[in-house]
Amino acid sequence: MKFARAAIGAALLVGCAGQMASATTGNVLFNGTITATCTLTVNSNGTMTVSSNLQSLSSHNAGGSAGSVLVDTTGGVQLSVDPVTTTTVPASDVTATTWTPTFATTGAQTIAETGTATALTVPGTSTAAINLAGTKSGTNRFSAGNYQATVTVRCE
Amino acid sequence: MIKLRILLAATAAGLAPLAATAQSMTPMRGEVRSFTDAFAVKVFPGNPYDQRIRVEVHVYDQDFQPVDARISPSVFLLAGQASRSVLVVVPFDGANDRKVRICTESIPFPGEQTQIRAQICGKFFGHRRF
Repeated sequence: MKFARAAIGAALLVGCAGQMASATTGNVLFNGTITATCTLTVNSNGTMTVSSNLQSLSSHNAGGSAGSVLVDTTGGVQLSVDPVTTTTVPASDVTATTWTPTFATTGAQTIAETGTATALTVPGTSTAAINLAGTKSGTNRFSAGNYQATVTVRCE
Repeated sequence: MIKLRILLAATAAGLAPLAATAQSMTPMRGEVRSFTDAFAVKVFPGNPYDQRIRVEVHVYDQDFQPVDARISPSVFLLAGQASRSVLVVVPFDGANDRKVRICTESIPFPGEQTQIRAQICGKFFGHRRF
């Protein structure tokens, strides 16, 4: 009797082994495209102070401070500063001033101080320090009063 | 007729990618085909600050010379963390292709000694099809 049961069970198993599974699989593809993005967040404006020889008005001088801008990007963009065209000077200052804006970044990407457009290739957040220096040459000097300049920081 | 052209261009602009919020401007790249004598781009300036800022949108050519484009609105106040659409219609001016920069500008903290103007520029390429 035991032999008969075992024989029947074995025969059923052998019969099932030949059946094909009916389940199938399929692949679902996901695509995503990230275009270049850039966010500039101005943390603080800068402050310029005058040098002892009165020929430099700069955020680099003692007591001056750089402006600070947060740059969030996916990479694939370029950071630059424009030549300064918008300034306000005291009426007593009638001599020419050469304005030189520069920037440097730390964080996701480090860029040494430069005034040249530089590619941001690393995604993430960088902090850009924006400096501005005004210089006078020869016998020209900065005079007492309020100076104001606007630096354009561009991400494109 | 001009209104019709702008309408057609605006319809093309609707094909532009949808914007994410809290970006200073998106998209920053685009290529548009137009059957009219102008092409349109819809951009989304965003305000990442918590405070309201004054935003200006300008269009420049490759040499950063101003382009006489229709921008609506070109100057507006944007609430903190907000984003809004701006429609820019750029004339081909007789050319078959035109590259422009659309720039979003703001001075978030005006009135200080050294102000910083943040400018985000996107590069857009319009092709005219006949």
